Amino acid sequence: MSRGRSLLPISMTALLAIALSLAARDGSDRPTNNRATNSGQVTFNREIAPIIFHNCAPCHHPGEAGPFPLLRYEDAAKFARQIAYVTERHIMPPWLPAPNSLKFQGEMRLSDEEIRLFRLWADEGAPRGDAKELPPRPSFGSGWQLGKPDLILRARKPYVLAAGGTDNYWNFVFPTQEKSTRWVKAIEIHPGEKRVVHHANILVDRLHSSRAREKNPGDGFPGMELRIESEAFDPDSHFFFWKPGSVPHAEPPGMALRLDPDDDLVLNTHLQPSGKPETIEPSLGLYFTDEPATQFPMLLELENDLALDIPPGTAHFAVSDEFAITADLDLLAIYPHAHYLGKELRAAAALPDGTSKTLIFIPRWDLNWQAVFYYVEPVFLPKGTVVSMQYVYDNSEANPANPFHPPQRIKAGNRTTDEMAHLWLQVLPRGTPQQQEEARRMLQESLSRHDIARNPADFAAQYNLAAMLQARGEVSEALLHYGAPVRLQPEDAIANNALGGALLSTGHPGEALQPLQSAAQSQPDYFPAHYNLGNAFASLGRFPEAIREFGTAAHLAPSDSMAEANWGAALAETGELSAAREHLKKALELDPKNVLALENLQEVERRLSAAEKQ
Amino acid sequence: MFARRGHRLEVVLLLAVVTGLAFLVPPPVRSQFAAKGVVDLDGKAVNPFRVATGKVVVFLFVRTDCPISNRYAPRIQEMSSRYGKGAEFFLVYPVRAETAEQIRSHLKEYGYRLAALRDPDGTLVRASDTRVTPEAAVFAPDGRLLYHGRIDDWYTEFGRSRPAPTTHELSSAIEAAIAQKPVAVSAQAAVGCFLPDRP
Repeated sequence: MSRGRSLLPISMTALLAIALSLAARDGSDRPTNNRATNSGQVTFNREIAPIIFHNCAPCHHPGEAGPFPLLRYEDAAKFARQIAYVTERHIMPPWLPAPNSLKFQGEMRLSDEEIRLFRLWADEGAPRGDAKELPPRPSFGSGWQLGKPDLILRARKPYVLAAGGTDNYWNFVFPTQEKSTRWVKAIEIHPGEKRVVHHANILVDRLHSSRAREKNPGDGFPGMELRIESEAFDPDSHFFFWKPGSVPHAEPPGMALRLDPDDDLVLNTHLQPSGKPETIEPSLGLYFTDEPATQFPMLLELENDLALDIPPGTAHFAVSDEFAITADLDLLAIYPHAHYLGKELRAAAALPDGTSKTLIFIPRWDLNWQAVFYYVEPVFLPKGTVVSMQYVYDNSEANPANPFHPPQRIKAGNRTTDEMAHLWLQVLPRGTPQQQEEARRMLQESLSRHDIARNPADFAAQYNLAAMLQARGEVSEALLHYGAPVRLQPEDAIANNALGGALLSTGHPGEALQPLQSAAQSQPDYFPAHYNLGNAFASLGRFPEAIREFGTAAHLAPSDSMAEANWGAALAETGELSAAREHLKKALELDPKNVLALENLQEVERRLSAAEKQ
Repeated sequence: MFARRGHRLEVVLLLAVVTGLAFLVPPPVRSQFAAKGVVDLDGKAVNPFRVATGKVVVFLFVRTDCPISNRYAPRIQEMSSRYGKGAEFFLVYPVRAETAEQIRSHLKEYGYRLAALRDPDGTLVRASDTRVTPEAAVFAPDGRLLYHGRIDDWYTEFGRSRPAPTTHELSSAIEAAIAQKPVAVSAQAAVGCFLPDRP
């Protein structure tokens, strides 16, 4: 689906043109073609227009991100010297990675010859040339580049960006509200007023964690970095990213994103004031496929935020991270991320055979042009490869992007003025579906262990590792690990409940009480804590307390059949048979297949009729 | 002999004025440059120094299609209000191809509430030694060029701006000029859109 940008044909023409024009100037008597003999000048119509039409016009046309059009001779001629200046300095076209043997899709790079042609043309006074040599002007469709979307989501409320001030980060929440599960093969992002949007990035929010951050539904909310809760073993490993000039990316067959009814999409946008108030009204075009996902990529996240403590005035502050991959996999895309102090970002892979590959090298980081980079060909990384990141930061006065003047001590964090050292790799394990699943689990686990080794205080890594072990059935191993997140965040309801649950399931109801009570205390409306507490009390024979906890649980989740069933069972234990009967009946109304409720109800009915007979 | 040399010097000065170099040679004569080709949006010739009547004169060179000068609009408007008592501000549109109609809608769009001039012959551009937009020039009431160059150091390169400027050359120059004190920095190169090669 990607519109490849092969630069080769143009470079060839450019080279030829230079060679010819030099030949003409030298007065060389080598044979030349008519064009060059007629005029040694670089002209718009012959040399410049093809370069501009191919490399500049895709953004520099009305409605796109470029601040002025570059479609006509007049457009280009009045900027001739500026075009020469910005291309010589590689300011335009904006493309962060240095040339590398691994190629990215949509590379926006001019050849040295093309850049020289711009300079020659400007120095010669931007001549127009022969009208017959002008190639056809490109035409750009204004609608959806991928065709009519299957579903269009529009921002519920536009955001009005003030005329002045600093960069702004705004998030739009798009409820999807599909009736059934859909498979998404592509999302085309229309970010709104493209001249002020620097990038836009979609996150899938299955648990509505972003809705709570909106004052009123649809308002949106500020923030540069988003934390979105996800079901532990269902990470959303798809990138949906827009930057100026990017072509919508469609996932390869079999790699569609699962979209469940009521999932939210959150669009995170980076906006730069333009001098006048701007109304930002993004929309998303979703393209569905009937083919459910068979390939499940995952994101490997390298990071070293812990090492980020950058003294003011330091011009070269290096941090690194590395991770040995535990399965054969293909690297599909890469997303390096730092904030305003980032200076030089590099990622590499050291292969088991002793060779190494530069995965990406950004010699002059600029947050304004950050992007997700897709490889033209997936990069095979065999098991045992060590992937690494080496980032350099500049917290000196010489870094104009420095958010503080004079510079201040900077640490990691989510605010724009904090710093970050992250690298995401989108990878696809090789092998049969079963092998792939096993590989993903192993990678998740080794990533958690890697994070813990570097930072034992990493709550999420500690919790995830324990949860993964528990999900795999290694409960006693999990139990050893649940202690850590609880020690790190003694108030955290989820961690406390998980620890209590693991103790309960390994036959330690007495020890489970304390963490479960902490969980219920710090988050009184947390259903699992009350439910598990009920079970723990019941196991200990403390039925009145069990009845109270099951009652709370049933109240919090009125449609939960098991809470009613257990409530009924606990009541039955204390001899409250008719009350027990009510709750067991309720449990069966909620779930007629609830075997526990059915059996207990039969027993309660039997005892009740026996009591009547007496 | 002596007297004749003095007389010759005056001739040289006069020539300089005619060729538009008046401000390189003190004492300046202000009435000459302003008139040539400088017009308001109705096409009427304007002499900014006559309008300013004894105030400091500030030119801000902008164009309708320059993203950098456009981003400065709120700052320029704010400065013109802040220094309005002592200085007369003019937006100058030096690009010949920009019509009065385009400029009017540009003013409206960006919330400008100050006088706009067109300088299709580049008279003010040459008098101010302007290279890019946005760029500023500060003249004393008597027509001496006191400062020309950037507004501040917000931009360091195309596409590279600081979160906020850390130096304020234009404000400093205006304040000094109003207070009739020497201007510390008389020129500072600006980052912005090159003036058209073919205006």
